[in-house]
Amino acid sequence: MTADTTAETAGAIAAIEATGLRRTFGATVAVDGIDLTVPEGVLYGLIGPDGAGKSTLLRMLATVLRPDSGEASVFGASVVHDPDRVTSQIGYMSQQFCLYPDLTVAENIEFFARLRGVPKAERRTRAASLLTALGLADVTTRRAGRLSGGMKQKLMLATTLMHEPRLLLLDEPTTGVDPVSRREFWQILARVRSEGRTVLVATPYMDEAERCTDVAFMDAGTITRRGTPAEIKASLPGRVLEVGAPDPRAVLAAIKGVDGVRQAHLLGDHVRVLWSGGNTTGLADRLVAVGITAEIDEIPADMEAAFSYLAQDAG
Amino acid sequence: MNGLDRIMAIVVKEFRHLLRDPRVLATVLLLPIAQMLLFAYAISFDVRNVPTIVIDQDQTPASRAYVQTYSAGGFFQVRGDAAGIGDVDGIFRRGEASVVVVVPAGFERAITSGAKADVDVIVDGSDPNAARMGQAYALALNRLYGQQVAAVWAEKQGLDLSAAGGLDPRVRTWFNPDRQSSIFLIPGLVAVILMIVCVQQTAVTVVRERDLHTAEQMVVSPVTHTELIVGKLLPWTILAFFDMGMVVAVGMLVFGVPLRGSVVLLLVASLLFVFASLAMGVIVSTIAPSMETANVMALMLAFLPGLLLSGLAFPLESIPVVLQWVSSVFPARYMVDISRGVFLKGAGFSDEWPQLGSLALYTVVALFLAVRLYARKVRT
Repeated sequence: MTADTTAETAGAIAAIEATGLRRTFGATVAVDGIDLTVPEGVLYGLIGPDGAGKSTLLRMLATVLRPDSGEASVFGASVVHDPDRVTSQIGYMSQQFCLYPDLTVAENIEFFARLRGVPKAERRTRAASLLTALGLADVTTRRAGRLSGGMKQKLMLATTLMHEPRLLLLDEPTTGVDPVSRREFWQILARVRSEGRTVLVATPYMDEAERCTDVAFMDAGTITRRGTPAEIKASLPGRVLEVGAPDPRAVLAAIKGVDGVRQAHLLGDHVRVLWSGGNTTGLADRLVAVGITAEIDEIPADMEAAFSYLAQDAG
Repeated sequence: MNGLDRIMAIVVKEFRHLLRDPRVLATVLLLPIAQMLLFAYAISFDVRNVPTIVIDQDQTPASRAYVQTYSAGGFFQVRGDAAGIGDVDGIFRRGEASVVVVVPAGFERAITSGAKADVDVIVDGSDPNAARMGQAYALALNRLYGQQVAAVWAEKQGLDLSAAGGLDPRVRTWFNPDRQSSIFLIPGLVAVILMIVCVQQTAVTVVRERDLHTAEQMVVSPVTHTELIVGKLLPWTILAFFDMGMVVAVGMLVFGVPLRGSVVLLLVASLLFVFASLAMGVIVSTIAPSMETANVMALMLAFLPGLLLSGLAFPLESIPVVLQWVSSVFPARYMVDISRGVFLKGAGFSDEWPQLGSLALYTVVALFLAVRLYARKVRT
């Protein structure tokens, strides 16, 4: 979904409309003049290196932090001047655990849903279905502080979803969550989206970014690239090669400076190369010259490669 | 309505926290009683068994009879005698005695001849309270003894006793005839203990919400600041009254504190005072950066002024004017006055209305400030 289709489908008000949003902490500029439009119904991913300002941006949109300057509105309500009309439509899941460790799973959900004015009967049915979907049905009487890291995250998501907000702001919700649970997480996010609700999620995982409809790459407090995952991948200036060898570190050292290597880094037991040259014989020759037998494969560009490129490009 | 339901949700949650944490529960339920026992026994202005040493340089029947009067009452505890006046310094320094009585040579000769007999009473001034009391008692004793001597002498001379005149050394104390300091202290302590519990616990629970990041979730919910503060304060109000009931019961049953005045006045004043203390707790929480700081700040704010600037231990009239002004910033002074009035003097609304008015004004201002400061702290 590009900006153009956005403008067509959203004759209605955008879920998020931010202009010139800026926030400093002392001498540090965390968010440095961000413009962002998130149309209703999208699953918008926020990626970028640590300290890029993703959390600060989300916190301002959640009305928890005041912007120093600039303006943002959520479904037309200003986060600065009308925070109560904003909060009634959003669910915000912070990066830190934000529930009561001494209360049980059920008590935490009950408390926050009650604060949100969810009627008693619905509290019960929604809690049951959410906890089942997230695999927490067996631990409802366990104290939240005694849950595993992944379960805590899932409980926070359940709490955030209880009042069925129109806009979900999620700050790295799956950090510390095992792969199976991450899948459950994203199934729920997909369901939320299919119900026409909007999600803005910051994530450090590129496979998750891949599942978003739109992605914005943040660096040093600004958005440096945005588009659909396909658009972002297509913007890579070159092809992605994967070099497999017994000692990938030696490979990395050997190919440094070879013509056509835009960028190279370790990923697991491979070396990832962003290759802007033609055929890869130059690369193979260099490896042979230093006595390394390696396997070079071209792989389709993915968000992982795009992230590395964008992060280095900006830095 | 919705607001009421949200407040109830917070109240229920607060009680759950309390039941889950036995330490806090114990602190809230047992500490007041422990504090009261500690205070009532430790802070005593009663002077009894003052360690005393007698130096009898006369060594006559008359001097021995005089010295006897010191051991007779419960006030002085004669621990023995010393050789000479040169020992006094060492006695005080070693803490062997707080009072030294020196009966000079020629004591018997002086009283039998009807002249004035000099007796030195040396008091260790490093414990001013005991010193002042010791002095007063010793003087009274001398006067009494002097009277007796005079009477004996008058009888011998066949004079009319009533005509001999003399002093009546009896001192009468109103409201607390035995001058038991516990009875004087406990009504004031009720106030100070309430204040410590309220200020400290609220400050800590509010800061805790911030540390747990749950305060942030409150911001993102429709809860208003007033609802949140009311919801947080209600459980503590209930607990504060429970504590107060306990302290009053122990005070009346164990220490025999009378309850002579208007119970309604006491309850109304307590309610205002509890609100004021809770509001102070919220104010502390908005200033304190961490739970530890909040704890210490709350203790300092509740404890020191509660003890020193409330008139609990020292009469407000006797402290410097500047501190008198400072004392009006803390609600304890009004409450201590009202509490004492009700318990000891049988006071009602008509007696204590200036104090009650001040307390009410204080409470309104404190609550207003609490809500405002909290709101300012919420969205940063």
